[in-house]
Amino acid sequence: MLTPVEMTGPLDAAAQAHLLVLVGQTRDRQAFAQLFKHFAPRLKAFHLRANVSDTAAEELAQETMLLLWRKADSFDPTRAGVATWVFTITRNLRIDHARRQRGIVPQDWAEEDTSPSAEVLSLEAERAERMRCALAGLSAEQRRVIELSFFTETPHAGIATMLNLPLGTVKSRIRLALARLRDLLGTES
Amino acid sequence: MSIQHHPNDDTLLRFSTGGLNAGLTLVTQAHMHICTQCRDRVAAFEAVGGALLDEQPAAALAPAAFAQVLSRLDERPAAAPAPRAPRQANLHLAPDTALPSVLAACDIGRWLWFGKGIRYSPVRLPWAPEANVMLLRVAANCAVYPHTHAEHELTLILRGGYSDCTGQYGPGDMAEADADILHQPHADDEGCLCLAALEGTMRLDGWLGKWQRRLGPYLGLY
Ligand SMILES: [Zn+2]
Repeated sequence: MLTPVEMTGPLDAAAQAHLLVLVGQTRDRQAFAQLFKHFAPRLKAFHLRANVSDTAAEELAQETMLLLWRKADSFDPTRAGVATWVFTITRNLRIDHARRQRGIVPQDWAEEDTSPSAEVLSLEAERAERMRCALAGLSAEQRRVIELSFFTETPHAGIATMLNLPLGTVKSRIRLALARLRDLLGTES
Repeated sequence: MSIQHHPNDDTLLRFSTGGLNAGLTLVTQAHMHICTQCRDRVAAFEAVGGALLDEQPAAALAPAAFAQVLSRLDERPAAAPAPRAPRQANLHLAPDTALPSVLAACDIGRWLWFGKGIRYSPVRLPWAPEANVMLLRVAANCAVYPHTHAEHELTLILRGGYSDCTGQYGPGDMAEADADILHQPHADDEGCLCLAALEGTMRLDGWLGKWQRRLGPYLGLY
């Protein structure tokens, strides 16, 4: 039986893209196993931080990996990094999951076209690395509000409660963190 | 079309994280379809999400997790139930006015009168029936009574335009309002057609009352 391959360290962005293209083009299960080994535990951790139950986090991680397999042939390495692509899949699954719990038929995400412009596309290859550097360049406080924005459903009010800070402080801290990120990434406003 | 007003970074960040409610998300998507700048901004925020995901420490999976996923790889995805055809009233728009494509699956009600020069048409999202979305039409040169907003609101100009103390808004522009803003929009010579969404969820029984309170100021306009 196929098992996730033992690896020495996390996959870097180039290796992730190589493996995902293999899955898309040749349905390579060994490549899928490596991606599973890297992403599935991180996906679960990601959802656990957003306060979903262990069962739901496990389910979201597995469903995301299944969608990664099914959608791999639509992955275009010039458009987005693999981690970013996986993030958007799992984010949409989390939204659907919340809606299903309320008995609502989820949205058809396929209709969405939010591809970045040509200038940005040419930068995609380096983006993962630049993003990592930019995040590392934030102060601990700034990084915390940005992380919490990704891990809580109601960013402002939720973050304010969690950090025991006034809402206004949280809002201005997010604004500052985003301005700093933009500086670090060198994008025009 | 030259877009001058965009959703702010904070709104785009919440859109990117999935933390924006369905109505505000819909209006943001409609703007993004015609705005490369905001698509780029969202792509950057999604890359932040990707970087955070990639940096997570590995959590322990269920022992059979990989085997379970592997056994499902050849499974055919369950066919999605055929979507119900949306109910869309004829709004008698000018022939060259196209509604944003994100509205294709939504129910769109007929125009309802709401004071001199103002009509609105409720929009219902099948995947978020509680969302507060509407099309809003303001007649040429009508001024709206000065008002503030209790909650976060996004308004995308589809046709025509208006001005207020925060600037001039034309097709493609996104007006963003919250409690900090007191303004008196004045529609231009062509009038103004907008798509608007409001923060918060409401039950059906409270819905009209809520809009009445919100639109109340419009009633005094001449
Ligand atoms: Zn924009």
